[in-house]
Amino acid sequence: MVGDFSVGKTSITQKFVNNVFSEKYLTTIGVKIDTATVGEDKLIVWDVAGRDSLSPINASYLVGASGVILVADGSRSSTVGGLLEIWQTVTNRIGSVPVVVALNKADLDGWQIDDHSRALLDQQGWDVFATSAKDGKNVEAVFKKLVEIMNCKES
Amino acid sequence: MLEANLQQRINAQLLDKLQLAYICVDSSMTVVEVSDNLSSYGYNDIVIGANVEECVDFMFGFDAQTQLDLPMVQSPSGITISVSLLPSDRLLTVLISNASNQADQRQLLQQKANENELLVERQEKLLTQLEQASEQLESKNEQLEEASRLQTSFLSGVSHEFRTPLTSIIGYTNLVEQSLQCPTDKTGSDIQQKADHLRAVQRSSRHLLSLVENLLDHGKLDSDEIMLRPKTTNLVELFQDVELLLKPLSDAKHIELTINLDIDDSTIVVIDDSRLRQCLINLLGNAVKFTDHGSVSLTADLSGDFLSIKVADTGPGISDEDLQKIRLPFWQAADTGKAGTGLGLTITERIIELMGGELEVSSVLSEGTQVSFQIPAPMLMDQECAKVLNSKQSLADMTVLLAEDDHDIAALMVVMMAERGVHLTHVENGALALEAMQSTTFDFVLMDIHMPVMTGYETLAALQQANNSTPVVIMSASTVEAGRMKAESLGCYDYLIKPVDVDDVIEIMNHVALDKDADHTC
Repeated sequence: MVGDFSVGKTSITQKFVNNVFSEKYLTTIGVKIDTATVGEDKLIVWDVAGRDSLSPINASYLVGASGVILVADGSRSSTVGGLLEIWQTVTNRIGSVPVVVALNKADLDGWQIDDHSRALLDQQGWDVFATSAKDGKNVEAVFKKLVEIMNCKES
Repeated sequence: MLEANLQQRINAQLLDKLQLAYICVDSSMTVVEVSDNLSSYGYNDIVIGANVEECVDFMFGFDAQTQLDLPMVQSPSGITISVSLLPSDRLLTVLISNASNQADQRQLLQQKANENELLVERQEKLLTQLEQASEQLESKNEQLEEASRLQTSFLSGVSHEFRTPLTSIIGYTNLVEQSLQCPTDKTGSDIQQKADHLRAVQRSSRHLLSLVENLLDHGKLDSDEIMLRPKTTNLVELFQDVELLLKPLSDAKHIELTINLDIDDSTIVVIDDSRLRQCLINLLGNAVKFTDHGSVSLTADLSGDFLSIKVADTGPGISDEDLQKIRLPFWQAADTGKAGTGLGLTITERIIELMGGELEVSSVLSEGTQVSFQIPAPMLMDQECAKVLNSKQSLADMTVLLAEDDHDIAALMVVMMAERGVHLTHVENGALALEAMQSTTFDFVLMDIHMPVMTGYETLAALQQANNSTPVVIMSASTVEAGRMKAESLGCYDYLIKPVDVDDVIEIMNHVALDKDADHTC
């Protein structure tokens, strides 16, 4: 799980793994590791501390990853634009692995992806989901899609 | 043996003191050695011989050659640890150290920094929204100012447009009245002069009517209330009418007005003649108004059921910038000094669109302007034309009833119809009309809508109930489409807007006579 700070990576993970959600923002330091299952597949989810203006993603956490969920906050266009740079960090370190995009906080009023951001995502050809860790919208779908792509790649 | 145990105890104490733990795995990632204090970080199930990937979550996906530092990983015990993978020839050592102090400090700082950054982002977003709102307000304000300016200019234009013909009407009627009061001169020149004065009054009245129609039509543009009413029309006669109407204006400005028609005199088409006439008057009127020297010409031809019209003038022309604006309602060029409502072209364009055409305007500054359009105008076959042309028969034998409460209008209608050989029986309301129709059979009824005792609608309803099929033509001052639709639903034969042109009444009577003949023939 990678993306800018405060986009909801931990919230999505906790909703998926433990079905809990908290409105309180608590920044992640380093990495939190959780385990979940999708069908017969076991997932080890690395919830990596978000990128901020001073600290980039620590690429050591990416080593060994079989797939990546890029997370952005749909109500903050800068975090959507930032996905391209984060994806660059990922590919530089571990190459092009299966990826899906979660545009989170879809439950917020006025949540709307601007045309420029939408064009950026479309250009990449990524599978994009509008998610809400709060109400659970598309949370499971994002993980399922990633597993599906990873399994396709393996077979 | 004792020494080895002692060494082990010393090592264990040292690791505890340094809060270090370790796991050693071989090349197949099998655990070969672990420190005793691993359980303090929540790793309780690690046994010698187990696969490290299955019992230590952060080890999944690594091989024995991986050299890596993983700072601040949250361990199963909740303590934040730092992990170093140190490969050697035969073994991979996983060194685990307590990083909770460092993590706690980092957490405090990072939390504040992130919250501040979020705050700044929100402020920037709010500022942007405020700026956008401010820009929108400014733009709205400009629009309102522009609307206010246009309204003022429109009112001033309307006022001027109305005053000009009214001044002419008042002036010429005064002259006629004075000459009637002092009938000293009965020479031919005096009669000719009076006729000229009356023509000027008529011209100004028609101009006023056209202005009122344009103003009312503009109100209908947005509500899509303008409807076309195609009927059989002699195109040549229509163009001659328009020429006669505009000629005095062009003569007064010493401008040559020419109408070039490539249309046969007997051609009859199905078209809304009054709307086409309105468009032609607007376009030619504009051309004459803005042309001070030279000529204005109208060219028309009919080909394959399509009527093509071009109006060209040798006026001052329109700049490219102004060409973009001329179709806007109320817009008028600022520097022409010509009064107007700025509605004529807007309405004309809309009517032409309704007729299935498109108005095209091209212009060259100092050379002139050309306006052209093409609209469908289905031609009647020769025998159908002949039928329409021959329909203008004597109407003297027709019995006509007029229901009108306004005495001036009624008197005028009686006189004007009498001049065309038609005798009218006049009653003042619908009830009297019904009474008259019971005692006499009329061929044709002209009826006002708003009358005392019984309105035109009520009378139509009563006639419909009585299965009386006498053709009733409504004359109404209301231009609201709903009024026409109501009258039509009650079975009226036709619907004329006041002021009614007597020629229109005669034409409808011709149609009635024709229908009657056709019924007799059948």
